[in-house]
Amino acid sequence: MRNVYVVGIGITSFSRLEYPLAEIAAYPAMMAMKDSGISKIDHLYVANMGAGRINQQTGLASAVIDTLSLTPAGATAIENGPASGASAIIQGFQAVASGMHDVVMVTGAERMREVNNLEATDFVATLTHPLAEYIYGVTLPSLAGMFTRLIMEKHGVTSRHLAMVAVKNHANAMHNFFAHLHQPITIEAILDSPEASTNNPFVAEPLRFFDMCPVSDGGACLILASEDVAKKINRPKIRLAGLGQATDTHAVQERKDPTELLAVRGAAAKAFEMAQVKPSQVNVAELHDAFTILEIVESEEVGFFKKGEGHKALERGDTSLTGKLPINPSGGLKAKGHPVGATGIGQAHEIIMQLRGEAEKRQVKNAKIGFTCNFGGFGNNVCCLVFKREE
Amino acid sequence: MELYGYKCKKCGHLHYPYRMVCKNCGKNEHNEFDPVPLPRKGKLLTFTILHNPPSDYEVVTLGLGIVELDNGIRVTGQLRIPNPKIGMKVRGEIDVVHSAEYDKQYGMVFYKA
Repeated sequence: MRNVYVVGIGITSFSRLEYPLAEIAAYPAMMAMKDSGISKIDHLYVANMGAGRINQQTGLASAVIDTLSLTPAGATAIENGPASGASAIIQGFQAVASGMHDVVMVTGAERMREVNNLEATDFVATLTHPLAEYIYGVTLPSLAGMFTRLIMEKHGVTSRHLAMVAVKNHANAMHNFFAHLHQPITIEAILDSPEASTNNPFVAEPLRFFDMCPVSDGGACLILASEDVAKKINRPKIRLAGLGQATDTHAVQERKDPTELLAVRGAAAKAFEMAQVKPSQVNVAELHDAFTILEIVESEEVGFFKKGEGHKALERGDTSLTGKLPINPSGGLKAKGHPVGATGIGQAHEIIMQLRGEAEKRQVKNAKIGFTCNFGGFGNNVCCLVFKREE
Repeated sequence: MELYGYKCKKCGHLHYPYRMVCKNCGKNEHNEFDPVPLPRKGKLLTFTILHNPPSDYEVVTLGLGIVELDNGIRVTGQLRIPNPKIGMKVRGEIDVVHSAEYDKQYGMVFYKA
């Protein structure tokens, strides 16, 4: 297997974007071509979840490659729920590592704000089990609410811990130009003050408004290339060193212990093994905090902290920007935003910025090894990636 | 009306929801499961009150929970219980859980036992 490097990156703002979906995919691709100086690719992978359902557009990859005038290169769209982004990166990696291609582009895009929030939530809910979950009105927030209640009972996580995740990630996003929410929040405003229940109402008990990610439009792109190509490009060398993907039961109810996210654990273990890296060696991580509780539990399942101690690490400040292991310096899904199909590539984009030392005010000092966890379904399809800076 | 579990004809393992290959023995040919009505009594494992139900559910809040039935099978269902508590005994009834214009869907609705 050949080594694979990330040679170019690009991103749009994650917010409400007033241009068509194919352009949301193409704009970061143009940035990535400029970033790398590469103008020819062998294959394009487009990660997206909702084009067919919410944008009335199918065959998105053909639209994107033609928008970029990169025909006749091959182009494929990849839909794998909220893990579409990292799934597309894995496909791109395989194409280069196998020797089939030398340069591939992996771009993700979502345009969810074309519909209202309830329709967007319903669209994401279509990934739940059609007969055992979806017909009851189950949405992703409701699965997260039921999960949170169990974690609170078992590990003593409280609403205050969840609010601490939101406050931290909103603060990080203040330093990220591309983040959806540039809104500093305080524990007092969302939990303690007399107005807290108005500022921060319940959405899916015990989860509140500020425990949820926003509904975002957005796109992000990576260009992956072989070592020979990467050598000729005058950018810091970042190797995609480890990849892991794992699955779990479609319906959450079928899991033996519903407080365990086995697909997160499995995907992370595979990625770390492939990269020959231990969780303790990671300098910076982007975890999939679509709900605040997920940042805490994923930080345990991937092996950064012991089971049931993620919230204690959060209390100690270990995961803040200046802590031992900064988590979600970009603002995470919570504040950077969650354009579902693009999210996994957006996470990788942040890690590349960090490893290159280009993250400005949110730069994690001396970051050499970075990690991402892209969580699909409610943990039924998870991809983890390890990136290494090489000198 | 009943909600059915699916019992593997090879090894007897009971599943819900339906799957085409047994999780326990993995030895099935096509459709080798017997439908078995699920019991109605169980205990509440976890729950949420959803304050923004999907738009075609014409309610202000929607109670949802995962219940472990007396035979160990777990089902997700709607809750019609004023103050649910983890571990409480519940009983299920089959009722309309979602209605679209020309289409009604039936599923498990739980009440306090």
